[in-house]
Amino acid sequence: MIHSKRVQLRVNGREHTLDLTPQATLLHVLRNDVELNGPKYGCGLGECGSCTVLIDKKPARSCVIPVLGVIGREITTLEGLPALSLEGQCLQISPNESLPPLHPVQRAFIDAQAAQCGYCLNGMIMMTVALLLRNPQPSRQEVIEALSANLCRCGAHVEILKAVDLAVSYSQVPLKNSLSTLKPHEPLNPLLKGHDSAIDGSEQANVPGVQ
Amino acid sequence: MTRAQIPFKRQDLPSMKGVIWVARHPVAGPQGITGQPPFIASSPSEGLEVLVALWSDASVTALHGHVDLGTGLRTALGQIVAEELCMDLSDVHLEMGSTATAPNQGATIASNSIQTHAQPLRCAAAQLFVWGLAQSAKRFGVSASQVSYYNRGFHVPDSALVGGHATLDNPTKGVLSWNDLIQEQNICLELDLSVSTKPSHQYRLVGQSAERVDIPAKAQGDLIFVHDMRVEGMLHGRVIRPPYSGVDSGDFVGKSLIGIERESLAHIPGLVGVVVQGDFIGVVCLREEHAEQAMRDLVVHWRDWPGVGSLKDTQAALSKHPSVERELLNEGNAQQAWDTASVKLDETYVWPYQMHASIGPSCALAQWCTDEEYQATGIRLRVWAGTQNPHVLRADLALIANAPDVGVEVIRMEAAGCYGRNCADDVAADAAILSKAVNAPVRVQLSREQEHAWEPKGAAQVMQVKGGLDSAGNPVAYDFLSSYPSNGAPTLALLLTGLIEPVAKVYEMGDRTAKPPYQYPNLRVRVQDMAPILRASWLRGVSALPNSFAHESFIDELAHQAHVDPLEFRLAWLEDPRAQALLRDTAHKAQWRPHSSPQEQGADPKDPDWLKGQGVAYARYVHSKWPGFGAAYSAWVADVEVNQVTGEVHVSKVVVGHDAGMLINPKGVEHQVNGNVLQTTSRALMEEVQTHPRTGAVQSLEWGSYPILNFRQVPVIEIVHMPRQNEAPLGAGESSSVPGTAAIANAIFDATGIRLRNPPFTPEKVLAALNSAHRAIPSEGANHGANLGVNDWQDQPNQLAQNQNKNIDPHDAQYPSLSQDRNWSFIGSQLLKLTRQGLALASSVVMCLLAWGLYGLTMNPNWQQRVSPQLSMYGPKMIERGAQLAALGNCSGCHTAENGALNAGGKPIQTPFGVVFSTNITPDENSGLGRWSYKAFERAMREGVSADGHHLYPAFPYTSFKDLADEDMMSLYAWSMSQTPVATQPYQNTLSWPFNTRGLMRFWNTLFLNNPSPLLEPTTLDKQATQSLKAVERAQQPDDLFKRGEYLVSSVGHCSACHTERGMMGNEKRDSHYLSGAMVNDWFAPALTAKNTAPLPWTAEELFRYLRTGHTQFHGVASGPMAQIIKDWSSVPDEDLWAMSIYLANSMNPRAQTDDELSTMATVRLEQSKALEVKARGLDVGQRQFEGSCSACHHEGGGPNLLGTNAPLSLNTNVHGESPNNLIQIILKGCPTPANAQMGFMPAFKDSLTDSQVVDLVHYIRARYAPGKPEWTQVNETLEKLRQMPTNN
Repeated sequence: MIHSKRVQLRVNGREHTLDLTPQATLLHVLRNDVELNGPKYGCGLGECGSCTVLIDKKPARSCVIPVLGVIGREITTLEGLPALSLEGQCLQISPNESLPPLHPVQRAFIDAQAAQCGYCLNGMIMMTVALLLRNPQPSRQEVIEALSANLCRCGAHVEILKAVDLAVSYSQVPLKNSLSTLKPHEPLNPLLKGHDSAIDGSEQANVPGVQ
Repeated sequence: MTRAQIPFKRQDLPSMKGVIWVARHPVAGPQGITGQPPFIASSPSEGLEVLVALWSDASVTALHGHVDLGTGLRTALGQIVAEELCMDLSDVHLEMGSTATAPNQGATIASNSIQTHAQPLRCAAAQLFVWGLAQSAKRFGVSASQVSYYNRGFHVPDSALVGGHATLDNPTKGVLSWNDLIQEQNICLELDLSVSTKPSHQYRLVGQSAERVDIPAKAQGDLIFVHDMRVEGMLHGRVIRPPYSGVDSGDFVGKSLIGIERESLAHIPGLVGVVVQGDFIGVVCLREEHAEQAMRDLVVHWRDWPGVGSLKDTQAALSKHPSVERELLNEGNAQQAWDTASVKLDETYVWPYQMHASIGPSCALAQWCTDEEYQATGIRLRVWAGTQNPHVLRADLALIANAPDVGVEVIRMEAAGCYGRNCADDVAADAAILSKAVNAPVRVQLSREQEHAWEPKGAAQVMQVKGGLDSAGNPVAYDFLSSYPSNGAPTLALLLTGLIEPVAKVYEMGDRTAKPPYQYPNLRVRVQDMAPILRASWLRGVSALPNSFAHESFIDELAHQAHVDPLEFRLAWLEDPRAQALLRDTAHKAQWRPHSSPQEQGADPKDPDWLKGQGVAYARYVHSKWPGFGAAYSAWVADVEVNQVTGEVHVSKVVVGHDAGMLINPKGVEHQVNGNVLQTTSRALMEEVQTHPRTGAVQSLEWGSYPILNFRQVPVIEIVHMPRQNEAPLGAGESSSVPGTAAIANAIFDATGIRLRNPPFTPEKVLAALNSAHRAIPSEGANHGANLGVNDWQDQPNQLAQNQNKNIDPHDAQYPSLSQDRNWSFIGSQLLKLTRQGLALASSVVMCLLAWGLYGLTMNPNWQQRVSPQLSMYGPKMIERGAQLAALGNCSGCHTAENGALNAGGKPIQTPFGVVFSTNITPDENSGLGRWSYKAFERAMREGVSADGHHLYPAFPYTSFKDLADEDMMSLYAWSMSQTPVATQPYQNTLSWPFNTRGLMRFWNTLFLNNPSPLLEPTTLDKQATQSLKAVERAQQPDDLFKRGEYLVSSVGHCSACHTERGMMGNEKRDSHYLSGAMVNDWFAPALTAKNTAPLPWTAEELFRYLRTGHTQFHGVASGPMAQIIKDWSSVPDEDLWAMSIYLANSMNPRAQTDDELSTMATVRLEQSKALEVKARGLDVGQRQFEGSCSACHHEGGGPNLLGTNAPLSLNTNVHGESPNNLIQIILKGCPTPANAQMGFMPAFKDSLTDSQVVDLVHYIRARYAPGKPEWTQVNETLEKLRQMPTNN
């Protein structure tokens, strides 16, 4: 019989006391014990990147990491990004008060609509966060290299690359100015903001031709 | 939260208050359509289907039977509903696909969710709005035309009000809210499809880009995906699939299981159940990791299965597969026209099996309801699933539940994108079976390998086209025959359990877009319908995409024959003006370069290896049963570059025209088009399912063997939208994938003059075609393609096959066998052979030895004590030193069993003579060393004799320990006795006769025990090392350190036990063999002498870094047994490791380079490695495998910077070694417990790669990263042997 061991795991700034056996990967524990949804199981082989988390701020493939190998290290998941951004990068305030604040990279991915099914999104965001921590102004080639082993099957690559560009610009914005300097960019969703303009049943709406 | 966001069930709506809803009677659906999968209608008992519910808080629930597969359908439908109701998108909440809530609208397929299935929803919303206007008018006492809706209210101008200023019942205001109208009522309207919907010129939301409503939640990890669904008491299930991977019809299906060995799971904690029904096997555990381990460890016996035959040659496989021919069109006389044509072409296009390859393997959660709940609610089984086809899945689950359809509830949650049907339904059925069996909620997650193997594939297809031109160059004949194996794919668990028969059904599915879009005066279109071969389903552009590939390649071939620009030729013969406009605009945007022969663009002036070309293609996706419905129009112009040396194809730019009529969400459509372009590029260039050469079983089990496009290969994409906002919306997105492959093939032809008719266009295919073209017409230049007649390239596939075979045949040995083959196992087998053959001489020798041994046994006195030694005799310092020495000697490495107590023995040690179990070295009085005197301990350590007098086997390295200094021996004894005693049962060795006779060891000892280690002179010690030692302030003299190092290496370190080759009797060889490398348990322990094969020399500093941390910049990481040893050495003082490093460095490399020198050497080597072009050597398969499976972590710059060391393979000792053992071992077993957690972890690939994939990978790594080293010749044999080894070895 396999015996379990009591360990302390630090995830998103919180300590968790867990009884685990050597078979448990970090991904198992994050999903099943800490009940996080961010990191996703994609291949179990470290090939696709869906399960990416940060370990001591370096990106890591949690599906191939035995959890007992990372005891004592700081683990950050998608859910922990807002707190991370408070620490190091500026915090993006969500325009919707009911939503939690977002890390600039999360905000950038939403604004660039950088997902189709969104299953790979966690990995793309986490890799970008890690890249920008290491290299705040990456060239396009550096971005491609950083993301080259994160797979997206739907083909959201074009939007993801745009999201990284956007994230670079957001991450440059100092905290106190983050709201005002973001104005040139569209807010989260103009339709979500609510339209107050009168819509009269007889009024002709202007439908612009689509280029 | 709005009321619309609160979930409700259809059956509860009539009794809810404050809501008005529109419903329809369930649709019977299309019934009995020949050759199409059945539509499963809802049960009449389910009552009315709700389409829209508008709540008193003016929030709206819109319900749709289709699901959002990442296409943005949820957002687009929300726009449509909000538009009709003049509301905001945020007011509308979509409920999609769940059977207890949403209407039954069949499967989400064929891009028709908007085109067809949005209409009832649109009408329902319009009906509500009309109702609101009418009710307001009534209450205002005005006519409906006088009421307008804005600011969330129905308004009427004051002038229109009765009495000038008030409504009848709301005298103060000229405004009414939805709440005013609905109040506490429950109002139901029946759907009226004749209601007038909003005219498109009034749209303000539809046609405007909206952000997808689901992305914010996904970017924050909210609960959206079925993978994230958890319920109280949820257990974790895994399934074990049969060996006929990816095949779901045939007598063997459901009948191949011989049995399982339940006791093989005795070690699994929290095992709740093992479920076996037919060929269905599932395990359920409390924890997911244990379910995974149970899945891997369960011993299962399967019958051999016959296989479906080789699919390597798709065309041959399909041509011999029984089929029924169906004529779709016959205009004029195509056969006769072809016979008399001036230019005749007869071409065959072959499409491979491809995958959905969803990025997340499917997952589902099933909850078997209690009898009480079943009585109360009528629900027997509740399943959360990522299905595309909820009502069909529900019917399948009802079979499993043995309940009526309505006794099963399917709750649809999002899943990883699929482009047709993946394993989402299969896993839902798996979960249902397991949940029913253990009577608890069970979540089942398929593994990556299972999803790859079993997902219903996109079917292979063969298109034969005979066509021709008349003497004026006009097309006169087109005779098209498409062969398509069906794609029914019944839910797997039903087949495996025998609930349904595994009978292959023939569907009429190959006819999508079978008609070419061009005017051919003599046109015949036929389809061969056939049963499935591999399990298949609809995959994006089902049968249309391959058919269109043939149409659009062929028209290009005709244009070439007619010496007309392919764009001009198409425009001339394209019938539909809308298509012509799209093609023109697309070509214009792409700056089309008219050309009537290939290679006019020529090579890239900066790099003449790269040839440039441009190709065009057009298609309108016509889906559903013949003659089908037309979805959006699409045109591609692709710019490619083809490397004529390596065969690589880059798609550098795609301009894609897309006419989908009205766009609901233009930005959303754009994202879909981008996605389709990228996925099609991936399919065209890289994707083909690998199958077993004999059985046809699916062998692509992960991303290395089924590579998909990554960020490096993303072309520039430009989209041309046509302004058609006043036209009806056509199915968008998917259509843009249809012409893509032909555009790329046509561009490759333009670049090179070679015509490829069998995607994917992999480098080896392109290169083979280029080579055969050069061989065919060596002297022709740029225009050679224009002069080619009919069938010039027909021999291409055969040549390709030969080329491939030649390139990767592992038996094509060029290098002699390596000496390392004389390893333990070899020796063992030789010895066994010797004894078992019973040769007279051998047996007499053995008898003599035995006699001698028996004699010896009587000679050893029993030195066990009556009482345990007193620990107080030894000071803490001595115990501490003993602990360090024990670590250095890695005592626990052998004396601790897997998951056993530390140093309590019981670990099986494989020797050529059988298995020896290590002993308990804790101070337990009965089973350990508790009653051993120091004298007995020392005798065991120096002479290999146990306290009770019996001989120990030299698996215990007393031949090294004999040289321990007395003081160190004493310290080790003190440490041993200071441990916590652990009582164990005796371990039984399983040595074969005569080796189970311990007395033989006395004889052995006289031969080998006093065999001295050769000494090296310290005089050659390099000054650099001395400097380094000074730098770390070591007090000792270099000579002293050298001597100390030598002592530690040869005694307690017992390095020679692994690093020295053994003789026939298991003895360590001496002289030149000493520390010169040896095979131990099929790991090669590298030479610690000048024979070391590392690409960069070892220095004392490098050795120290390696021994201290487990990895070095210039040599890579410790793996295999050495990883554990280095881990155990964490308590060994620096000084001891320095001493050993100095001694060993002197032995390996007396020159002792500085780190700077090493760095320079490494740079040179890395540059050489980067410059090395191995593609031309036929290693593409291995290269692709490497890139998909390994390159995330192993790259030499130019990849992600992940946790771990990523030591360059160009500098890796194992890759440069003389045998492939270590590399294969690491690939199979991974490195889950590295010497140092900072190094990162490597997963085991043994269950994910087939033998041939490992072989390709190993050859590629050797060629790519150890240039100049001979190719390994024993890869197949070594792999076969290592596959047999137990995993914990």
